[in-house]
Amino acid sequence: MSSLFAYAPRRGPLGRARPWIVAVYLAPLATLAFAFANPFVLLAAGVAAALAGLAAGAGGAVARPARFAGGLALTVAAVNAIASQRGATILIRGFDLPVLGRVDITLEALAEGVVLALRIVVALLVFAVWSACVDPDRVLRAIRPLAARSALTATLVSRLVPVAAADGSRLAEAGRLRGPAAAPVGRAALARRLVAGSLDRSVDLAATLELRGYALARRPFRPRHRRQPGEAGLLASGLAGMALVAALALTGAAGFDAYPRLAIDAGPAVAVTALAIPAVALAPLLGDLLRSRDGGRD
Amino acid sequence: MTEAALAIERLEYRYPGAPGLALAGVDLRVGAGEFVVLAGRSGSGKSTLLRAACGLVPHFHGGEIAGAVAVAGRSTRETGPAELAAAVGFVAQEPETQVVSTTVRAELELPLELRGAGAGEIARAVEEAALALAIEPLLDRTTDSLSGGELQRVALGAALVAGPPLLLLDEPTSQLDPVAGEELIALLRRLNEESGIAVVLGEHRLERCLAAADRVVALDAGRVLYDGPPGRFGAAMLGPAPELATPIARLFDLAGLPASPVTVKQARSLVPAGVAARPADRRPVGEPPAGEGLALRCRRLRVELGSRADPREALRGLDLVLDPGERVALMGPNGAGKTTLLRAAAGILAPASGSIEVPAGAAMLSQRPDDYFVRERVDEELPGDAGAAALAAVGLDVAGDADPRDLSGGERQRLALAIAMAGRGAGGEPGGLVCLDEPTRGLDRARKEDLAGWIGGLAGRGAGVLVATHDVEFAARFATRVVLLARGRVIADGAPGDLLGGGWYFATETARVTGGRAITPEGGAPLLAAPRDPLAREEAR
Repeated sequence: MSSLFAYAPRRGPLGRARPWIVAVYLAPLATLAFAFANPFVLLAAGVAAALAGLAAGAGGAVARPARFAGGLALTVAAVNAIASQRGATILIRGFDLPVLGRVDITLEALAEGVVLALRIVVALLVFAVWSACVDPDRVLRAIRPLAARSALTATLVSRLVPVAAADGSRLAEAGRLRGPAAAPVGRAALARRLVAGSLDRSVDLAATLELRGYALARRPFRPRHRRQPGEAGLLASGLAGMALVAALALTGAAGFDAYPRLAIDAGPAVAVTALAIPAVALAPLLGDLLRSRDGGRD
Repeated sequence: MTEAALAIERLEYRYPGAPGLALAGVDLRVGAGEFVVLAGRSGSGKSTLLRAACGLVPHFHGGEIAGAVAVAGRSTRETGPAELAAAVGFVAQEPETQVVSTTVRAELELPLELRGAGAGEIARAVEEAALALAIEPLLDRTTDSLSGGELQRVALGAALVAGPPLLLLDEPTSQLDPVAGEELIALLRRLNEESGIAVVLGEHRLERCLAAADRVVALDAGRVLYDGPPGRFGAAMLGPAPELATPIARLFDLAGLPASPVTVKQARSLVPAGVAARPADRRPVGEPPAGEGLALRCRRLRVELGSRADPREALRGLDLVLDPGERVALMGPNGAGKTTLLRAAAGILAPASGSIEVPAGAAMLSQRPDDYFVRERVDEELPGDAGAAALAAVGLDVAGDADPRDLSGGERQRLALAIAMAGRGAGGEPGGLVCLDEPTRGLDRARKEDLAGWIGGLAGRGAGVLVATHDVEFAARFATRVVLLARGRVIADGAPGDLLGGGWYFATETARVTGGRAITPEGGAPLLAAPRDPLAREEAR
């Protein structure tokens, strides 16, 4: 068992850049996921995030959360279509379900579910790119001088996750190795045991942190990371993306209303934006991508 | 007189809620640049003493403390572990919980950053520590991609990077193969000699580290039992704590030789002339019962690990047959495929090609017995008549109402074995195959002797027993056959006397001393003893 989101040192601008630069770069995509419901714009943001992950050499690290997000998105879309009984365009009329009673499937509820699902997928893709490319140690280092206790908790959690994943895997295997006459091991018992073990593990990790000097009263050194090649491009891309997002928000050009009847803005402004978002996101990564491919051929 | 790296006076300590003292009046002084090996049975107080020396006791663990501990002149009562960390580094047994950063470089940088060191100082110290410990190639790797041995070195680097004059280590080699374990000890000795770092090393496998030590301190029930040079340690322990004596010390004692050498080189120089002409000891450890049928058969077995997209071949066309009643030590370096073979036999891993047959089924005990415990009481883990029979088979039928986690290390191991075997075999007999993965990790010699007895009992009742182990001394005590793996293949398969007698790393101390003519002290003693009449020698056997 391994963690869904896995950082590894990577070449390329996204792997080298300081965390705040990557945050600015990804901010427009995250904002689109959380603040917009137009499916064309969301699709564009999703494509941009996936391309950014691929260009950063984190295709595999992005694919795993993407698969997870895909399954979750399908579930959300299906549940919304069944649970929401609003909308004027009935696609499937009247079937009975336990608890819910008589259910109609409407085009509007289905569309709203798909949009919700898209937002989840985009948000997870953006987070996957972030966690695959940004060294958590650098983020924690940045937080530490501002909020030492929060950084301590975050450090414990960030280390406890892979340790607990390894423990869980071992416990599950030990469960399979029990003899036929031993008490069966259910998921609840395993989960209880894993939680109890995690408490022990976190005590050991806390002891290690104590020995490293976390409890020192003096203000810790805050390393200054030098500017890295490609950061200017990422920053420019992030700012350009935010400008696009702001323009969309101010003009209201990318509207989406599910009820009572489906209304989706799909005019030239949306089309231009949908093309511009992936282009702007990919622009600072293209040079490095092409150079690495040329280098590969050599 | 120079200031001691560590000074402990009349130290008494009781863990919170514990009925007895973990340390009961310990006096210890470690001088600057000394290399001290801390010996003792399981539960003798070694780990507690090391934790007291770095301030975790009492600041982190709580409890009641009396007496005084000073590290480089600073009292651990008034100074917490974080502030003491500049004067003392601590490396614990479990490497997984000793790294707290994502990358190796960040792990080494962290202690210095937290002390407010500057960027230049940090960069230099990290490079120097990495070069000294040969982990420079790992600096930009993520910590979750490292092996146990690599993680242990990184933890050592993080403990050393701030340049403490005292280093404490609690069984750092327990998870390493003989090669990696000896490399680590050599590395510690080099750091001690070249950098003047005082080292206090808690260890069970004393034969690995006594040669590096300036001094040995043995604990027993929280008290100092011995404090002196390694050269007298073996002889001194033969009376009060014979299980702490090294194989060489036992060999010389059984042979009636007055000397108690520490190293194989010293021992060889003291071996009487004419030993090479005496007949080699080739007695079997025990007669295997004439069991019927088959315990295990592997034919051209290939097993792949890793993801489907990136598979790694762990077993590469392995052939092996095991009969009921056989006691087989499966040996080889880390990554040789030992655990993979056991997991395949237990049905956890499926072959990629070839076949594996376990006609009467397999019970497997993995490296951590505690993973098998999910209930609060022993009898809840093993309910009913079959459960009671399984408990009785390992001698734990009287401990039904105990919490599994309150049992001793050896009892926990036996309970886990009972859980793995419950309901297998017929008529209360184990039957089939019993697989044990590194069962001696963290066990002292007395518990290893108990375990060897249990393995003999299982084999005597018809089970084929396959034990993956790095512990050559243990293998020499229990095995009737040794199988050596390397890179997923069997590279040697034969009698313990042949395989543990002639190798470089997979050879016992007795074998090294006697030139491979015997592998256990009991077998080697008649060779070294003064020639007697044949009848007397036979009696000695």
